[in-house]
Amino acid sequence: MAPPLGPLAGLFLRIGNLTFGGGGPTIAAFQRELVTRRRWLTPEQFALSYALSRITPGTNLFAFCTCAGALLRGLPGALAALLAASVPSCLLVAVLTAGFDTASRFGAVNVAIDGAVAASVGILLASCWAIVAPYVTRANGLRTALIAGASFGLSMLAAPILVLALAAAVGWFWEERE
Amino acid sequence: MSLLALYLLLLKATLSSFSGLASLPILRDDFVVHRTLLTDRQLNTALVIGRTTPGPKGLYVVSLGYYIAGYPGAVMAWAALATPALLVVAMLGVASRFTGDARVKRMLRAVVIASAGVSLSATLPLGVDALTTPLGWILAAAALVILLRTEWDTLWVMAGAALVSLGASLLPLAAR
Repeated sequence: MAPPLGPLAGLFLRIGNLTFGGGGPTIAAFQRELVTRRRWLTPEQFALSYALSRITPGTNLFAFCTCAGALLRGLPGALAALLAASVPSCLLVAVLTAGFDTASRFGAVNVAIDGAVAASVGILLASCWAIVAPYVTRANGLRTALIAGASFGLSMLAAPILVLALAAAVGWFWEERE
Repeated sequence: MSLLALYLLLLKATLSSFSGLASLPILRDDFVVHRTLLTDRQLNTALVIGRTTPGPKGLYVVSLGYYIAGYPGAVMAWAALATPALLVVAMLGVASRFTGDARVKRMLRAVVIASAGVSLSATLPLGVDALTTPLGWILAAAALVILLRTEWDTLWVMAGAALVSLGASLLPLAAR
């Protein structure tokens, strides 16, 4: 069932503006909330949002939020998700820029951020597993491992967008076992 | 520079990139090299701020907007970051028509599986940067185990890690 706009905006506000480590851990946190915990999106809808956000120019995270919001509540959901996920963090960046020299003198702030960023590494790893786990089946486990492993290796040599395009081509031609 | 011109230049940079820091060379060329509205030091400071605040790393663009034109410049930068995201609504409309096709489903699944590999490789530089102390490793491992074995909110996991890091820094024999 689609959530009302208020809770939808609240979730995007909270996850989008309080997750450290960049877009990867933030989308990982969204995967956990939207698919695993609240079941607002199916894994297929998450997959669609993720795939489209990667081929949209600009900030992947904002495109992901907009797409997920659109799937949940149409255009109002898209706008609510985009505004909720982007405005507070942008405001924070502007305020921090204005007072950067003062803020950086507070060592405790930097120490706390270091801890949160370290945890975000674990969050990303957990997310990687959560993403592939549904596809690690007896019939298609090898296919999944090959695609994920090749993408891991290739993404160190080529732009992510090219790696994903190659994966899309592989998926198009390589049939899954029933 | 007018705010509209600033918005259009920032939009050009964000539309030309597909990830957080990919717009950096374009922005440096436009604002540091050609128009000399920014210094490299401001660019680096913006990157640090974007890296240490929540949300995407691409938010350093907001910092650049602030350096160029104050808070109105930051608003233009936010608009330049948000505008491309709206393209996805149109793309979703097109993509939804084809999601019933078996080959499209396979393609999407392959992209999602590949995204895990891409994310894993993106974790490496983040790990090199973040896991410089035994405590960092412990926090990352604890977060991984907690998220794999429980349904805890990631926010609490990160808040807990921040508190542990803060607490450890106050101990004289802390791992940090």
